[in-house]
Amino acid sequence: MIGIPEIFFYIFCALIFGSSLLVVFSYNLLRSAFALFFVLFGIAGFYVLLGGDFLAVIQIMVYAGGINILLIFGTMMTGSISQPETSNPSFQGILTLIGGGGLLLILLIILNHTTWPSQSLIDHGPTTKQIGQLLLRNYILPFEVISFLLVAAMVGAIVLINKGERS
Amino acid sequence: MILDGYLVASAALFTLGVVLFLSKKNAIAILMGVELILNASAINFVAFGKFTPSQGSPFDGQIFAIFIILLAAAEAVVALAIVLAAYKEYKHIMVDQYTKLRG
Repeated sequence: MIGIPEIFFYIFCALIFGSSLLVVFSYNLLRSAFALFFVLFGIAGFYVLLGGDFLAVIQIMVYAGGINILLIFGTMMTGSISQPETSNPSFQGILTLIGGGGLLLILLIILNHTTWPSQSLIDHGPTTKQIGQLLLRNYILPFEVISFLLVAAMVGAIVLINKGERS
Repeated sequence: MILDGYLVASAALFTLGVVLFLSKKNAIAILMGVELILNASAINFVAFGKFTPSQGSPFDGQIFAIFIILLAAAEAVVALAIVLAAYKEYKHIMVDQYTKLRG
């Protein structure tokens, strides 16, 4: 018996794996970067299916709207414009595929032999209010630390870029 | 149960990220591999938080996923700054040809 969530789960699976295969095996880096968009949107769909509406919006805003745009900018600023077809070469492809296949096999065997304690599912409804309260009560220290980390990363990025310019 | 579906999907995404991370020469493609690996771990956190929630605080998995996303943002900014600084020095970003990285 297949319900509506299962149908959407398989649709998002197809979206994620079709696009991530393109990300991995495309020889055009710009094409990889745009395929990563669809991977991130599919993962946001997973979050919606798992009851994380706030998390899905964060995923779309920060990942697809921020990090991926940054990656596309980096691609366009560093890639050779005249040769986009070979901007993403790989080496030792066969060995890596064998290793990756072995890793996936090991992970699937482990997953097959493990039984997880499953509880009855509760639908929590909108999660934004609870997540905001948790972030400002129980998780206030990691929240502040990560704000400081973001500032440090921003300053570090500016220092790195300026250092390259001086030399 | 469908928890296994999410775990299998996350394992496959993790494997693709590792393959991308290990096999590419371009530094930005390696960064994309890291993003795929981080996303796979975040899917695992949210799936476990949904299907086996901890007592009294069922949103711990989602909080962890938010922190993972923020860490990925910080990591992407710093890594791209390093890539751009190296590009100014070498005029390419193929990591197998970086034989000397002294500032």
